[in-house]
Amino acid sequence: MMNTDVRGARHATPRLAKAVPTAVLLVGAFYCLVPVVWVLAASSKSVSQLFTTFTLAPGTGLVENLRNLFAYGNGEYGQWALNSLLYAGVGAVLSMIVSTMSGYALAKYQFRGSSVIFFGILGGVLLPGITLAIPQYLLMSKMGLAGSVWSVLLPSILSPFGIYLSRVYAMAAVPTEMMEAARLDGASELRMFRSIAMPMMVPGMVTVFMLQFVGIWNNFLLPFIMLSDQSRYPITVGLYTLLSQGSGQPALYSLAIIGAALSIIPLVLLLLFLQRFWRLDLISGGLKG
Amino acid sequence: MTTQDLNPPSRRRRRRGTAAPYIFLTPAVLLYVCFLLVPIVYSIYLSFQGLRLVSGGAFGHRQSTFIGLENYATALTDAEFLGGFRRLAIYGIIAVPLTLGLALLFALLLDLGSARAKRFSRTAIFIPYAVPGVVASLMWGFMYLPATSPFSYITEKFGWGTIPFLQNPEIFSSVANIAIWSGVGFNMIILYTSLRGIPAYIMDSARIDGANEWQIATQIKIPLVAPALVLTGLFSLIGCLQLYGEPTTLAPMTSTITQTWVPLMTIYRDAFTLDDLPLAAASSVVLALGTLVVSVILLRLTQKRAFGDD
Amino acid sequence: MRSKMMAAVTVVAVGALALAACSGGGSTAGGSAGAGTSAAPITLTYWAWGTAQEPMVAAWNKSHPDIQVKHTDAGGATDSSAKLLTATRAGNAPDASVVEYQTLPAMIVGNAAADITKYVSAAAKGSFTNAVWGLVTFNGAIYGVPQDVGPMAFVYNKARLDALGVPVPTTWAEFATAAKKVHIADPNAYLTTFDPSQFGGFAGLAQQAGAKWWSVKGKTWTVDIDGPESIAVANYWQGLLDNGAIKSEPLLTPQWNQELNNGKILSWPSALWAPGVIYGVAPKMASQWAMAPLPQWTPGDSAVGNQGGSAVVVTTSSKHPKEAAEFAAWINSSQEGADVQLTTGQYPASKLGQAAAEKSAPPKLMPQQTDFWPLASKIAANTIPSINWGPDVNVASSAFQDAMAKAIANHTPLSAALIQVQKVVVADMKKTGFTVTN
Repeated sequence: MMNTDVRGARHATPRLAKAVPTAVLLVGAFYCLVPVVWVLAASSKSVSQLFTTFTLAPGTGLVENLRNLFAYGNGEYGQWALNSLLYAGVGAVLSMIVSTMSGYALAKYQFRGSSVIFFGILGGVLLPGITLAIPQYLLMSKMGLAGSVWSVLLPSILSPFGIYLSRVYAMAAVPTEMMEAARLDGASELRMFRSIAMPMMVPGMVTVFMLQFVGIWNNFLLPFIMLSDQSRYPITVGLYTLLSQGSGQPALYSLAIIGAALSIIPLVLLLLFLQRFWRLDLISGGLKG
Repeated sequence: MTTQDLNPPSRRRRRRGTAAPYIFLTPAVLLYVCFLLVPIVYSIYLSFQGLRLVSGGAFGHRQSTFIGLENYATALTDAEFLGGFRRLAIYGIIAVPLTLGLALLFALLLDLGSARAKRFSRTAIFIPYAVPGVVASLMWGFMYLPATSPFSYITEKFGWGTIPFLQNPEIFSSVANIAIWSGVGFNMIILYTSLRGIPAYIMDSARIDGANEWQIATQIKIPLVAPALVLTGLFSLIGCLQLYGEPTTLAPMTSTITQTWVPLMTIYRDAFTLDDLPLAAASSVVLALGTLVVSVILLRLTQKRAFGDD
Repeated sequence: MRSKMMAAVTVVAVGALALAACSGGGSTAGGSAGAGTSAAPITLTYWAWGTAQEPMVAAWNKSHPDIQVKHTDAGGATDSSAKLLTATRAGNAPDASVVEYQTLPAMIVGNAAADITKYVSAAAKGSFTNAVWGLVTFNGAIYGVPQDVGPMAFVYNKARLDALGVPVPTTWAEFATAAKKVHIADPNAYLTTFDPSQFGGFAGLAQQAGAKWWSVKGKTWTVDIDGPESIAVANYWQGLLDNGAIKSEPLLTPQWNQELNNGKILSWPSALWAPGVIYGVAPKMASQWAMAPLPQWTPGDSAVGNQGGSAVVVTTSSKHPKEAAEFAAWINSSQEGADVQLTTGQYPASKLGQAAAEKSAPPKLMPQQTDFWPLASKIAANTIPSINWGPDVNVASSAFQDAMAKAIANHTPLSAALIQVQKVVVADMKKTGFTVTN
């Protein structure tokens, strides 16, 4: 434990030194959790309780809300959840593969155009999604894909940040001399990538997967522009339509809130599960001078 | 796990050319060309167009015609659009330092041996990352509106009235708060894992020399995680310039946030509500160039500090 | 050698993927594979929001097996109209879509809504009054089939007003007095709130006062958003805000809903669809609210404007405009369609629907008001025909919201905000190329 005092057990850490940092951390934790507690409490309130009781107090309408949510539009919410899973799951896997391949290529090979490609791809983060959304939609329409599952998947696969992470990780984790040795043994480049590099890059791959999964799951604008068929909506767009029914229609607050609460749960579980695998230190690692 | 490449550059050169890297990069480059490059070029092309009436009559149809730099002139002289940048600056001055500062603080505290409840705090602070922006803003909307806010509830009980979260100028802190709430956890984890990468002997020898934890933090830890700080700073800055989701979700709840409160909202309004895609494209180009300039300036300024001779 | 093969395999794989994607995707284009043959049923796509749509479409599908309609919710009013314009450009538009009356001119100018005059049968023509047809007729051509209308009415918390001893206002002067009385009796309560983003509501009030925001003669438009009638309306609300009788607050936020539930907001001058909306956020207030005719400027008058309401348009990209028009006419004027509309809170535009309304139970919010529907019919009959929306209502709406919000925040006159809106709208129309007189 690197913070152990080397001078021995006689020098005990004073109480204050333990209490203050812990208190600050707990305040931070509390601050981060209050809105989540609110969502859970609010999702248990029926509509008549939602605007009449204290904000953080739980209500009695949880089962009713759940029933209404899954009954809405003939089980639309379930469809939205499956869609979110599809877009985020498949998208994150494909993104992980593409990012890993690209990062590996950029890190381990010297070739013409590597800088151009790398900085070009990185430059992609400079542009806001809104700007590109409509041109992407028009392009998709030309390709005949607008409104289909691909229209949401394909633009999500390219992740400049993921490629950057993979490149950093490949540089750190895959020793070039192992590659040289494999080449001398006659292995093909593809074989090397598959059998040597990829296993070594697993923690980095998991990181990219997690980042992309969360990013795609929470993405609103892209699916909103590309999709008009509500049976293809992910949860984010679905919840939005619940709230913005337009004038003359009541906003379905309680459905939206419980829908939101339910949608956070899988993400939290995923994050907790993957915590031991992801390696975000590699983000800063590649910058050491 | 080492974070340095062990091989000097010369050993990495291939003796003969191979198609391998190009093949590996094909999917990424294809996607990039399709979904980034082509839309960008198309946007730029669009920015020189305008929708004008062609057929005559009171209900004639609008069509796309070339109008040169008119959209750029409109964008750059639009008081609301430029005002959006000014508001972004105020928002950024609050949001960016606080996000990074708090992330750094929590990361350092997690790194202290003496703190307790570390696992719980770390997880709790990271959870907001899993909450989509729309949902987060909805939650905080309930927290801010005087009638439904538990905070205002408490202050009212004490006789201090309600907290004007959604009025000017508090609105800036309120919007910044949502972004800080969402972003601290992720940045904290980046800085924390960077801290864990510092070899233990550096800290141990400092302690032997008599340094206390505060000195270790300020003079050893922070300088050593400077690269991570620069990176998170850069992403926070870009995120700040692209602020859109939080004010848009809060806008229906308060008249303080107009449709043009930040540049991206103006762009969205032009593209969707006003159906003036070319103007939105021109404004986007202006925004993107601004982002580029700011990013380059930031990287230049911090290059020496963070990257040494890189 | 191996790398060359790898390269070839990759290229083929990517190509195959692209081909598969291109042929397998795309399902929102109008029309269907069966176009031209009468054997296979024609499938139409229909964009609409709100709870009434699904049952209406189901009723049509049941009774018309040869023309099947696929319904989808593309978002609320503003979102789906924006998407409709973009989809038209991309060639992805549905066959039919619900469009609010105020957005219809923009759809015409944006070449999204088709002229369906020749597809409207005589029977369909007879299902709606001329006044209602006026909402969708421009330059003598019909661009949609009216679905629901929003004649303005006064929806108020009867229980609280009775308790406070405040009589129901019949004129705006009485309304002002009532507002002051309410606020003095309970400093935390307000007769109503003024929402600077309610463009449609304010437009309806201006219409009631006699304003005509857009009018067209031949090829020339006249814009009169800052005419004396509208300014008078703005000044009226200004007065109420200035002496604190009402307050300014966005509608239907969690805060507004809470205050409504607690009896702190006592009325909503809006339209006949309001009871459903209020019930949606305040089910506990059932039987405490009631509806009355909207206050008038001159005692004895009875004309009111429209707020909201929408029509079903047939898009220019539809490959089956005749069938789409038939569908639109049916759901909006058949018995089955009307039944659905009534149960979901829409006030039908069709004669049949309004007649059926008179026989139905009062809305869930005011079960005690048994004369709700007869009163509604009377109000609907007195609606001022057609507000004459212009081609850039979206510009006006956006400018209105921002200008009004700023005026309230900075305590500058609302009338000045109206003048600002006029300036912006005229400038925009001129820039696009319309001829506008001042």
